[in-house]
Amino acid sequence: MTPMVITRRNGPGIRVLLAMAWRETRGSFRHFLFFLACIALGVGALVGVTGFSAGLEQTIRKEARALMAGDVEVRTNRPLSEAGEERLESLRARGVRRTAVSELVAMASNPKTGDTQLVELKAVEEGYPFYGLLATEPVGAVGTLNDPSTALVEQGLLVRLGLHVSDRIKVGRTELTITGVLTKEPDRIAGAFSLGPRLLISQRALAATALVQPGSRVRYRALLQLPAGLSATDLAGELKKSFVAADGAEVNAYDDAQPRLRRFLSNLTTYVGLIGLIALLVGGIGVANSVQAFMRERLDTLAILKCVGADSRTLLKIYLLQTLLLGALGSLAGVLLGLALQGLLPDLMSGLLPVRVERSYALMPMARGAAMGFLTALLFALWPLLGIRRVPPARLFRREVSEEAPMTGGDGRVPLWKRSGNRSDRSQWISALFIITALAALLLWQIGSLRIGAVFLGVLTLSLLVLGGSARAVMALVRRIAPRSLVLKQGLANLYRPGSQAATAILSVGVGVTVIVAVVVIEASLMRQIHDNLPTEAPSFFFIDIQRDQQEAFKRFFAGRHLPVELTPIARARVQAVGDQTVSAMKLDGQPDAWYFQREYVVTVQSSLPKGNQIVAGSWWGAGAASSTPLVSVEQEAAGHLGVTVGSTLTFDLQGRLVTATVASLREVDWGSLTTNFFVIFSPGALDETAMTAIATVRVPPSEDLAMQRAVVAAFPNVTAINIRHVLDAIGAVLTRLGQVVRLMAFFTVGTGLLVLAGAIATSRYRRLREAVILKTLGATRGVIIRIFAVEYGCLGATAGVIGSALASLLAFVLLHFFLELPWSAELVRLSAGVFGATLLTILTGFLATYRILGQKPLAVLRQE
Amino acid sequence: MIKVRKLSMRLTGGGRMVTILDAIDLDVPPGQFVAVIGPSGSGKSTLLGLIAGLDRPTSGSVELNGINLNGLSEDELAVMRGRVVGIVFQAYHLIPTLTALENVMVPLELTGDRDAEARGREWLKAVGLDERARHYPAQLSGGEQQRVAIARAFACRPPILLADEPTGNLDQTTGRLVIDLLMRIRKEQGTTMVLVTHDADLASWADRVITLVDGRIARDQQGTPAP
Repeated sequence: MTPMVITRRNGPGIRVLLAMAWRETRGSFRHFLFFLACIALGVGALVGVTGFSAGLEQTIRKEARALMAGDVEVRTNRPLSEAGEERLESLRARGVRRTAVSELVAMASNPKTGDTQLVELKAVEEGYPFYGLLATEPVGAVGTLNDPSTALVEQGLLVRLGLHVSDRIKVGRTELTITGVLTKEPDRIAGAFSLGPRLLISQRALAATALVQPGSRVRYRALLQLPAGLSATDLAGELKKSFVAADGAEVNAYDDAQPRLRRFLSNLTTYVGLIGLIALLVGGIGVANSVQAFMRERLDTLAILKCVGADSRTLLKIYLLQTLLLGALGSLAGVLLGLALQGLLPDLMSGLLPVRVERSYALMPMARGAAMGFLTALLFALWPLLGIRRVPPARLFRREVSEEAPMTGGDGRVPLWKRSGNRSDRSQWISALFIITALAALLLWQIGSLRIGAVFLGVLTLSLLVLGGSARAVMALVRRIAPRSLVLKQGLANLYRPGSQAATAILSVGVGVTVIVAVVVIEASLMRQIHDNLPTEAPSFFFIDIQRDQQEAFKRFFAGRHLPVELTPIARARVQAVGDQTVSAMKLDGQPDAWYFQREYVVTVQSSLPKGNQIVAGSWWGAGAASSTPLVSVEQEAAGHLGVTVGSTLTFDLQGRLVTATVASLREVDWGSLTTNFFVIFSPGALDETAMTAIATVRVPPSEDLAMQRAVVAAFPNVTAINIRHVLDAIGAVLTRLGQVVRLMAFFTVGTGLLVLAGAIATSRYRRLREAVILKTLGATRGVIIRIFAVEYGCLGATAGVIGSALASLLAFVLLHFFLELPWSAELVRLSAGVFGATLLTILTGFLATYRILGQKPLAVLRQE
Repeated sequence: MIKVRKLSMRLTGGGRMVTILDAIDLDVPPGQFVAVIGPSGSGKSTLLGLIAGLDRPTSGSVELNGINLNGLSEDELAVMRGRVVGIVFQAYHLIPTLTALENVMVPLELTGDRDAEARGREWLKAVGLDERARHYPAQLSGGEQQRVAIARAFACRPPILLADEPTGNLDQTTGRLVIDLLMRIRKEQGTTMVLVTHDADLASWADRVITLVDGRIARDQQGTPAP
């Protein structure tokens, strides 16, 4: 007889494989509910955030003209130079229309009561807005906008000053009649943070207020409307070349679509999206668990299939197909959940956004989210699926083959890294490396930034190692405890017996606890910093725009009230050159340091080193010693970014005048002191020829806040009083809004963690059932069994809670201390709430997953055996 | 043709080495029906498992239709079983989540047979269960489950059939029916069969009876098959 040759055949076709995968799934659909839910929740979180982000982007692009109120905007912090003016005027010949907008903060008051309020004042002229809707109540009030004796105000201002439409309002040196309430202003971007309600007046009215003096803090915007055929981008490019150097101007075309706003929002959604990503990864752990439990149930089926001729490759294909189908189904459910979440986010973020976000049905975020879910499911399922190769068909003959071994890495409970290096171990190492690398690549793809991605991966890996390691340590500790009570003994034993999913459950719930507690602790620390931790010597008011000729009167005003006042001269400056290299010649686009070169610095002149400052290099100039050449002292971090040290030279543009100064010292500044601190301080005499205003800080008892504000505004109408408490409250309100969004996302992570827990408990349902029944036959009441389960779930939850809260505390400390440079507090109440909440939720989830066991009649179960 | 040479199997249990099979030599010519009998623990099932390539021997070799199993990888062994060997177990080992028909179709589908369903139905008819095609194993009696298992074992018309106590879980009457069926199909197909049993009556049906004691062939008896 001719010997037969065994060659690997093509095997069954895709149709048969699909049929087999479907047959394997249909009978176990309930088993896979956890799989589906884990993926759906993770994908939902991702699609919710990315879809919202896409909707936001879409809305901003669509509304870009209205958000600018023009086609091109030239933005400066001082009036245009003559050359600049000429440049803009010359555009009229090309059919370009122009309108001027000035924005500043100022004080407004009720002339009858003397009540005062900080306002965001905006002055406009004919033509504004070129695009978008300016709406008022009554409607006709818009028409009075160019009248120099009228003003439009936001409702909030009327309420705060006790005014009504047609009342008079005092601004600076003039009084205006309120003709209407502003209900919509197209180009008010600062939705997230505002210092006060809007007051909209004409440019002529602004001139009458006399608020704008040399050195005043005003933002000038020249809005241009272009004729058909002239491209906004081209004109903006043309203007950028001629303006940046001369006027320190920022030129934007509408189709840049608010790059600053978009960058802020994109950063926000990226960070919020990271939490969604954690939810998906925890979901992945749930998938791995679910597949592993399924495979364990299917050991006999796998052995039978191998007996009747299925090779591992065919089996792997069948179960991979099954995973892919389930992954796709879970992802699809996740996309629907994400769409629902997208509907929630605009309301939660309403106070943070300048526009009403349209719901986006953009395919890309949905497809991307679904792909993330699909691939995450696949990668997490791969490791348990690879165990198929090690299922021995001989198990059908010899039952002594360990039931656990094939699905936990081959050699029972020996970890992969402790095994000898045979061929099968090497292939497991390669598989593990492949899965980890692919997961990391997937995360980087979703995050879209190598830097953020690397930090995220690093923190995540460390956190998982800490959580996993601690979970194992606790299990080892529990094993050593030998309680006498049956309930305790059984409950604790459930945690470490063979096949226990305790470590996975602790890890998954722990990740959720870590995220939510970290978010809450960081938010609480920030709020505490804002509300409770004001330094005792912190001033209660900043006064800005005090003119040179008002400074003596200002000092006398406070001296008469026995209040110490500190006046600091200031000017606004931009870095023009570092050494010989001009900033305009530097390639700064996208550089992390760019901000330090392009920002406007508020600079001062000081003869003595301000309080809270420390010299770290060089030396402070001696008191009264005016240097022949200007000297500067630079804050050390800024110096690092600018690349200067003691002896370097810096050239500043001070409102058109160039001043070159030598760096005499570097300073460390305590920014938390909330006093006037500066990046750059000039030596006495260096800025004698520069128009400088002054700012003042005053500390007033809270009860005298209002009276003081009124008196100052009455005496110095052009001076703006900024109440620190109010500013901090405004920041606090923004943080609260942000916190809501972040917490919502964090709950997705917690939810997924609990799902993984429920899944892990459900996989041991049959063992629990058997044990419960045996205990019942031996005389245990239902109460005893409930207590045994409660001990087990309580320990799981408390362990996850303690480890998660501790890790959250550590992460919060690192973020607050090293990155935000803020003090960290233990937040014991919140940490305890984390531990308590985790314990309670775990017990609840555990009982939900097992309550049916309690009612089972012993005989029925024993008969089945 | 089955050729077994110096086949030994030793396992470590409780810290000591236990010899399950000790240097077995055996030749089974094509079409022969061999019964393997012996007391519990004599190594009968292990011998059957090694012939099926379900496990690796400690030493020695098994050759089926000219293929030396020692040279095959696990996956090649699986492919070989699909083509060369059909197995019937004492505990039936049907896949609980598949219907009777689907259980029979599995080996056919694995070989890429496009008519798996039609052939599966034919085999169910052959074992008298065409009415029960859509039933799951849990809905079938023990005898019916074993008949489905027999249909599955013969589905790909393997030249060799290995049966491990096929009536061990059945009452006498049902067991008799199952054996009749097994014999009938074996004859029709001309299949070589090795059957492991405790049942001397059942063994008397075989062309040849091998008695294993302590992992060795104590007796190799060529007999006249029972009618």
